[in-house]
Amino acid sequence: MSRITVAPDPFTLVPYDVDSIKALLEEAAALAGVASTVDISLTVDEELFAPLTGHMSDVVDGRISLWISGGNFEDNKRPTYFSADQARIDLAVMMLRAGDRLSDDFAAAPPDAQLPRGERVAWDTYAVGRAAKLGVDVRRPRQLYDFRLQHGFTDVADAAFDRCWESAHMTWEGIREIAKETGAADRDPSKVPVDLLRQK
Amino acid sequence: MKKMLPESELARDERFVRTKIEDRIFDPRGPKMAQRNTGPAKMGVDRPAAGERSRSLMHGIFVGEIQALEGAGRTCYDFDDETAPFQLKLDMARQCWDETRHCEISVKLGDHMGTEIGEYTESTFLFAAACNPDPVFRLCGVNRALEGLAIDVFSSMKDFGNESGDPVLEFCEDWMLADEVTHVKMGSDWLRRLTETDPDRRERALEFQRTVDAIFNLGGFRGEDDENPIQLARDFRRLAGFTEDENDSLAALARESMEQAREMAEMATAALDASAQGS
Repeated sequence: MSRITVAPDPFTLVPYDVDSIKALLEEAAALAGVASTVDISLTVDEELFAPLTGHMSDVVDGRISLWISGGNFEDNKRPTYFSADQARIDLAVMMLRAGDRLSDDFAAAPPDAQLPRGERVAWDTYAVGRAAKLGVDVRRPRQLYDFRLQHGFTDVADAAFDRCWESAHMTWEGIREIAKETGAADRDPSKVPVDLLRQK
Repeated sequence: MKKMLPESELARDERFVRTKIEDRIFDPRGPKMAQRNTGPAKMGVDRPAAGERSRSLMHGIFVGEIQALEGAGRTCYDFDDETAPFQLKLDMARQCWDETRHCEISVKLGDHMGTEIGEYTESTFLFAAACNPDPVFRLCGVNRALEGLAIDVFSSMKDFGNESGDPVLEFCEDWMLADEVTHVKMGSDWLRRLTETDPDRRERALEFQRTVDAIFNLGGFRGEDDENPIQLARDFRRLAGFTEDENDSLAALARESMEQAREMAEMATAALDASAQGS
């Protein structure tokens, strides 16, 4: 059996419940088809609030290492309160991406802290599209807007989005191709580090 | 129909959830975050959570438009023709039409960004500025302070649309921005006309405007640095009739608000740390 850890334990700034998060994480791992022998650690930055959202999925020495902003779990209609519906979506996407990292198809992908924005959102789209097919209640227009912000508001970008969303199987090379095709790969790098929210 | 409607009685359907400004002020995460570097708050596609930030701001604009519509509508209705001349009410009626159109545009922009109506909470302190019993104060609080803020917000969003290559956002914001310039001008014109023979009333109304401006500068929301999500749009403000002195004093007020917010955060952090050590 895998070992799932959630930090902080307990939460001190927001009334989030560690056991509820662990249960949702377990559910997401099963949904993403992650083997039950893989250890998973999740760090929630409880200082961050909406809209300062973001999450990262990495694999270190065969263990899944996840980080997420507390804002991702926050109920937009009740600030500081936990939203299980919102958490279910983000954890599914995170676990699908972590599952990708465990496969050879994404072995060459850099860690999330070094992923360029275009490649990252294309990969997210591939994960959110799969989550939708698995019955997770995601919103396509929301993902499309995020994709367009990095790949452009063009027909080429929209066609690339459809491919990422509909695809049942992609590789890291495929993600890079998409970023080249839309021109996202040629854009200037971010002025701020992509993992800035994670830095304390 | 009731005159002088308080903000608590604004009509909303079940999709809308109201929040109080105190909830944000007393959020224990606030002081912690004030000590952290989360990068420039100015909108940009390479900023963390760019999509979520723009969606949240867009929803804030949408509920702001609803309240601006309600405020202008109340001004048409709350006063007799002696307190508020019929021509002023015609201007307010025209503004109602503009705000209605802005609500429609904002809903469409929300769809475009992937947001649903009521997805985020609504704070009604914008409408509170439109509850003043003196129409001149309302014009200063709403048409000059809040519509002035709308100029800054739309200009910032238009720049974000331009930077991200989003023609829909840029175009829509540009059109709404043009209306806001007119609304500010209407406020300035009526302030001048209604207080022509009463300089004391004019000064008190302008003081009320400064108070409203200070509230919306809270914590550095607006200013001229990358640290401010909303940028002071000096050129558009000039077009709307604000003098350079007024723009300078607003910029100074914004810097002051930011400094105060910093000091408050430091004090709150110290208090939290002391309490943690004591427990």
